[in-house]
Amino acid sequence: MSFVRAYMAAGPSVRAAAMRMATRPNSALLAHRLLSTTAPRSNKADDPFLSEAAKAQGGVIPPMNVRSPAGTALYSAKDEPGKDIDPYKDGPSAIDKAVQIFFLTEILRGMWIVLEQFFRPPYTIMYPFEKGPLSPRFRGEHALRRYPSGEERCIACKLCEAICPAQAITIESEARMDGSRRTTRYDIDMTKCIYCGFCQEACPVDAIVETQNQEYSTETREELLYNKEKLLANGDRAEAEIAANLHADHVYR
Amino acid sequence: MSLARYFNKVRRIGLKEYFRQMMYIGDVKVGRCVGSDQFGNRYFENMNPEEEVPGRHRWVDFAQHDFNATQVPAEWHAWISHIRKDPPPEDRVMQNLSPSWKAPWIENLTGTRGAYRPYNTTLPKYDTWEPKVASREGPSA
Ligand code: SF4
Ligand code: SF4
Repeated sequence: MSFVRAYMAAGPSVRAAAMRMATRPNSALLAHRLLSTTAPRSNKADDPFLSEAAKAQGGVIPPMNVRSPAGTALYSAKDEPGKDIDPYKDGPSAIDKAVQIFFLTEILRGMWIVLEQFFRPPYTIMYPFEKGPLSPRFRGEHALRRYPSGEERCIACKLCEAICPAQAITIESEARMDGSRRTTRYDIDMTKCIYCGFCQEACPVDAIVETQNQEYSTETREELLYNKEKLLANGDRAEAEIAANLHADHVYR
Repeated sequence: MSLARYFNKVRRIGLKEYFRQMMYIGDVKVGRCVGSDQFGNRYFENMNPEEEVPGRHRWVDFAQHDFNATQVPAEWHAWISHIRKDPPPEDRVMQNLSPSWKAPWIENLTGTRGAYRPYNTTLPKYDTWEPKVASREGPSA
């Protein structure tokens, strides 16, 4: 019954302290003391802050009743804001709390949680059904994008190949039948890639991107040696998601 | 989840759905069905923190018994991974950015005959040159 004990201990003493504080010297006396401790001004005749009456009396400021205008005074303890709010109004009553303590409901609720978890596999989220949060900038499986017209973006400038710190990208290029420069080979060794994202930063036409797909595990190592067709296929099926994520991120670039 | 809440949820989804959830997700989950994709997977959301643990508030009910995380197409993947706020049927940005040439979604086929096998994309370039050995002329030794 700790809260009862606290109330018994704190209640009367707090009230006694409040009563002692009520019999403090009043504010007019305090103001008088502050005035008397102020050093007297030296040049009384041309002090612009002294009134004419004070100058006539030789610089001594006559005692005055220092009071704030009505309504702007400091709050007294009686009308302090928040006094009308009862913080315990919507909470459990003392009887409720006592019932919780005596009938060990917290213990029982904890035991129910243990019992429930006992029949479950240990998980935080149930993965294939629920997935953890990813960023629109998440760097997963690579994809080569196309323009909305369907034309492939990559112009075989080989900047991605040059910047790749893992040297995972291999490009060979050739002029296409219509004279435009395109890659004939665009291979990424996904087992070498460190998913740094430099390739998508380097690309001048947003061709190579890292999609938010992280679920491309394979049974053989060979399946991770992506070629151009595979990368274009990744882009073709996920273009809506890639474009939406680039759109979500464009304000930060 | 308290016992009362558990039975309340069972009552809300019905016994049939409860049995299905016990077979797959292994937990009773009630939520708003925000849509389904072309494969029939249904997607649910419950943003009430009293009913769902935040982080488990979006989930998918797979149509196939042999379920697989990659059966979720890209648009819904963005939603269920909490990348996009709105589900694809309500996401104007996602809809406007869907190209006409979008390819159908294929799940990860590794371990099956449909698995990707790397091949050389430059073979046609080399194959177009067919070396012909000219027969030697002149007097033979
Ligand atoms: S993410 Fe980094 S390591 Fe991987 S291909 Fe791009 S540049 Fe190379
Ligand atoms: S993907 Fe981009 S950076 Fe790489 S070769 Fe193509 S256009 Fe250049």
